[in-house]
Amino acid sequence: MTISRRVFVKSGGLALVSLGLDPLFLARAAFASGRPTGRPSDRPTLVCLFQRGAVDGLNMIVPHGEAAYYQERPRIAVPAKDVVDLDGHFGLHPSLAPLKELWDNKSLAAVHAIGSPDGTRSHFDAQDYMESGTPGVKSTGDGWMNRYCQHDQEHANTPFRAVAFGPQLPRILAGSAPSLAIDDLQAFGLRVPQEAARDRLTRAFEELYDGAGTGLLASSSREGFEAVQMLKRADPTQYRPTAGVDYPPGRLGKTLLQIAQLIKADVGLEIAFADCSGWDTHVNQGSSEGQLSARLRELGLALAAFNHDLGDRMRNIVVLTMSEFGRTIRENGNSGTDHGHATAMLALGGPVNGGRVLGRWPGLGVEQRFEGRDVAVTTDFRDLFGEILARHQGAADLGSVFPGYTPDPARFLGAIRG
Amino acid sequence: MHFILAIALAAQGPASAPAPALTARDSAFHALNRLAYGARPGEADSIARFGVMRWIERQLDADHVPDPRLAAREREFKILDYDRADLAGRYRDAVRERQQMQREAAASGDSMRPRGPAPMREFRELGGELQQLAIVRAAISERQLREVMVDFWTNHFNVFVGKGADRFLLPSYIEETIRPRALGNFEDLLIATARSPAMLFYLDNAQSVAPGSAPPRPFMSPFRRRRFGMNETNEERQQRQRRQPTGINENYARELMELHTLGVDGGYNQQDVINVARIFTGWSIERPERGAGFVYHDWAHDQGDKVVLGQKFKSDGEDEGVQLLKFLANQHATMHHVSAKLCARFVADEPPDGCIDAAVAAWERSRGDIRTVLRAIFTSPDFWSAQAVRSKVKTPFEFVVSAVRATGVEPDDTPRLAQLVARLGEPLYQQPAPTGYAETEAHWVNSGALLARMNAAMAIAKDCSSIPAIDDHARLVDTIDQQLLGGTMSTHTRSVILEQITDLTDPEQARVMAVGLALGGPDFQKQ
Repeated sequence: MTISRRVFVKSGGLALVSLGLDPLFLARAAFASGRPTGRPSDRPTLVCLFQRGAVDGLNMIVPHGEAAYYQERPRIAVPAKDVVDLDGHFGLHPSLAPLKELWDNKSLAAVHAIGSPDGTRSHFDAQDYMESGTPGVKSTGDGWMNRYCQHDQEHANTPFRAVAFGPQLPRILAGSAPSLAIDDLQAFGLRVPQEAARDRLTRAFEELYDGAGTGLLASSSREGFEAVQMLKRADPTQYRPTAGVDYPPGRLGKTLLQIAQLIKADVGLEIAFADCSGWDTHVNQGSSEGQLSARLRELGLALAAFNHDLGDRMRNIVVLTMSEFGRTIRENGNSGTDHGHATAMLALGGPVNGGRVLGRWPGLGVEQRFEGRDVAVTTDFRDLFGEILARHQGAADLGSVFPGYTPDPARFLGAIRG
Repeated sequence: MHFILAIALAAQGPASAPAPALTARDSAFHALNRLAYGARPGEADSIARFGVMRWIERQLDADHVPDPRLAAREREFKILDYDRADLAGRYRDAVRERQQMQREAAASGDSMRPRGPAPMREFRELGGELQQLAIVRAAISERQLREVMVDFWTNHFNVFVGKGADRFLLPSYIEETIRPRALGNFEDLLIATARSPAMLFYLDNAQSVAPGSAPPRPFMSPFRRRRFGMNETNEERQQRQRRQPTGINENYARELMELHTLGVDGGYNQQDVINVARIFTGWSIERPERGAGFVYHDWAHDQGDKVVLGQKFKSDGEDEGVQLLKFLANQHATMHHVSAKLCARFVADEPPDGCIDAAVAAWERSRGDIRTVLRAIFTSPDFWSAQAVRSKVKTPFEFVVSAVRATGVEPDDTPRLAQLVARLGEPLYQQPAPTGYAETEAHWVNSGALLARMNAAMAIAKDCSSIPAIDDHARLVDTIDQQLLGGTMSTHTRSVILEQITDLTDPEQARVMAVGLALGGPDFQKQ
């Protein structure tokens, strides 16, 4: 019989008062009762980074073998001599050089010409579609990651199954399945110095919200208090980065460090999501050096540090970058790029079938472009997301995750090892 | 006294159809939650006596509401003494001094050297005053509706303070562009934002020029870093030329239609975006690094005719942009889009059609008079319906300010409250996306944010001055219910608070605990 966590946490609190037992011990026991077989460290984990603002895929994964790339970008193209070559045609922006060793050991793949079948060039709309998973349909209430959690409930017995790092829950995780927003792992929970007073206050607020009925306030607070209990037990911040690993300073490095801590703490993290912003390079984008280069350097260093920090555990982890659309092939009048269509994404980790640029490359010729100006989409983002959910997370029902879309393994790119 | 009666007794104000169960006091509390940042102690009673509709009319006529206390507090804020050019100068000095220090540190090989008196820190503190000022105004101004509308338009016409020159352009944007027009005419406000240096910089229109256009020589590029021709090396000249804009930038054109006016479903296409961008070529800033104002460069303007939404705009220099803004401001899609946003702010996250239609009709009638549109919303039955009352969750800003007002906390001149708002997810003026901050519950309620609100509630409770320490716990909780929650405390909340303080014999401890639980609990999250 599975004990409801809710009932348990409450009765655990009572037990503390009446019998002097450690409710956390009991909470552990309750957690274990519903736990699937297989050690938590064997659970597949997906880490998604959303590059908000639309990253310039062409300067991230550079088609240095295309003459048109250099013709259209006289001021901002990355010179071939600076590109970290991958396959003779594409190469990494030099700031992503720390990722080259992952390419060489075949745990890094790039996907080019990927994007949405919807042609919008609005950040807001395109992000919305990428998060709802329903391009062109605005009425979708929840996000595709949340729908995955709704339909594959195998790991649903932990509040840390799906965690977004940031003060707000992003659209992609909005929905009826519990998910958690954590701004800072170290400061999560009520801030009272003395432990006894903290526990007392925590119980008081828990009681208060318990009577808040059904809505979002009630369910969110419940998830929050469950998470507080578990964090107290697992204390993920005790995990220091592996010797020699340096996360870059800044929000992204700190976030990936905390994701690594949650993974090491075995609290059942299956989906982690974080934003990284600063990609909307309309003006003075730079080429090998400059604005975009600085953002990519931080990204490359943070991903490389995460990979080294988790070491052997990367065998069950896939890290995926995504961005709402790409940018114009031709540079604009301000040495920048405007909103375009297809972009590039990166997938890395043990399960990734790496060392390859995936997806059909449409070319940059005028007649090959979307609306005559942008990189055409040859891979619907749902095919990549769907493949990762099916082959890495083991999702059983992609149809309910991407309503209105018939997932067809024949369209999968082979991003995940078979 | 029932609300119907209150309206009948009110000296002015159009009739509306309030929910029958709403007492005058409940109506006053509801109006204070939506048109203001919550009730101060005793305020719901006094407004009920004054007449709710009469109070609403007074709020709409903000210029005639005396506000001496705020005026006195505003004088404490140094940032209001500086204009754009002053702030630009201070920023320039700060950057120069920081560079100098970095050079010295590099020369001495000591990167860890203490930073010394940091002008950049001083500049940041000065900039931070803007956030504190927003909280002080929202908390103590008697012109509450105006403050609510300032926040609404600040988000509707969002500018991110962290982007380049907007670090010193934003204060004048808030003071001179948004605030004087918050209850004015939409078209006027739209044009003012379009011409504001802050918006021109934020959405890149300052750098949008007709392809192939070139400035007359000698050109003082607004984006140059160094005086033209002086000791310029070849490399520097090339760099300068690279920085010179050579074509249109679509950024402002797109957000103007998607966010500021028509809405994303407003029926425009990519060609419309391009043509709008062409119309605004030449709308720029005169020497942005000096904090200078709007300038129109005819040399940068696309001289061809343009078509937007099927309407032809004949080449007419700067006036073309003004004509376009007037055209967009009066499109039905714009009226509907902005009215729906207003109703989401004042009525419900998913506002009923009735109030939106009433707002649109008022907009059409008054050609975009914001007060007329608001009056239509406040007199719409949807505003007073049982579904609307206490249906909205407060944003972080609303939560903190309403807690400050209810507890009688005097917002001080430290960044403490601004930091609280930031920690709850809404650092003021720091939304990078042009959408501004969201209004709806789904954006703000999640487990982590709720825990943060509970922490904030306990912090504010310590300073509460509106609730005295009372030995009798039942009376204490009654007082809290009346003063903080307008009598809306649920029986569950009451019993949990009583249970939690039952063993606290120190009345002061019981008071802080009870107030903290009330502010951090579910009832106070709603408005």
